[in-house]
Amino acid sequence: MDGSRASGGKKSMREFLSNRWTILVLRIVVGATFIYAGSTKIGNPQAFADSIATFQLLGSQFINLLAMALPPFEILVGVMLLMGWRLRSAAFCAIALAVLFALALGQAIGRGLQVDCGCFGSGEPSVFKTWMSLGRDLLLLVAAVTIYAKGLGWISICGNEH
Amino acid sequence: MKKIPISTLKSDVVMLWALVTTSLCIGLLLNQFRDRPLPLAYQSKQDRMMNVVNNLASAKPVVPSTSEAIPEYVGLDEFRAIVEGKKGVVLDARPEIFHRLGHIPGAVSLPREDFEHAYSQHQDLLSDKSALVAVYCSSSSCEDSELVRDALRKLGYTHATVFKGGWSEWTAAGLPEGKNL
Repeated sequence: MDGSRASGGKKSMREFLSNRWTILVLRIVVGATFIYAGSTKIGNPQAFADSIATFQLLGSQFINLLAMALPPFEILVGVMLLMGWRLRSAAFCAIALAVLFALALGQAIGRGLQVDCGCFGSGEPSVFKTWMSLGRDLLLLVAAVTIYAKGLGWISICGNEH
Repeated sequence: MKKIPISTLKSDVVMLWALVTTSLCIGLLLNQFRDRPLPLAYQSKQDRMMNVVNNLASAKPVVPSTSEAIPEYVGLDEFRAIVEGKKGVVLDARPEIFHRLGHIPGAVSLPREDFEHAYSQHQDLLSDKSALVAVYCSSSSCEDSELVRDALRKLGYTHATVFKGGWSEWTAAGLPEGKNL
């Protein structure tokens, strides 16, 4: 009885995640988040570079390049997700970004660093905010993986592209 | 989850690479049109501040400080006495937008990120290098006030100090705020 209820729950969850409306909502949420994140940083790359430096991961010759390149990248990926153009590739890029952020945040937490995530513009370094950022990033990762796995380009400029 | 063919994965990786390259080109291009373009190699806040101080010092030779009787930090009570008794200059090292939204009464905006320009604007106020100067920023975790204090000390201000608790400790204590919107 319990087993059949569990398998029924799994099935309805699978159906929910395969629903074109679910995928559309996920695309809008992830796409808008990336566009917002990119647009808050693109105007002040110096502040973003300072945020990146708090992670103590990159050498000085790479920090400014990343600060200049990442905001346009986020905006491009966000626009592609919203428009549904090369949706699967856009979701793949979103996954790559989310994994990159999760690794950076995870190592900062592991090393006990007080970092300023810089995800939505610069702020004060804080351990609590780092955990919050990691949680938000993992949610984005799950959403991006779902979009990638289903690949439904419903309401997109390219139709049902896979 | 259905299996994803290798060819799809390959095209995804190619797309990722193309987007990274395009974004880098856009970022480098945008950087050329900024008022103050980023250099290719990153300079820390401390290094940038030091460059600014060196620029200012080369324009106006600095008289080395002879005594630094004042401590590097002051607590809320001491800082409050400075503010209320108007015993010195109070400087807000946060970005100017935050100063506009609310600041400690009588404080003048001297943002760390725009130090060179703001410092030259407040030359009259900062003409006496032996006067007491207290700097604050957002909270105890920000470093802007310390960077500004260190820059001022290098420029010859012998009595520059930091209120470490900053704006958050001031407002948490329920003390009055100044605004100029």
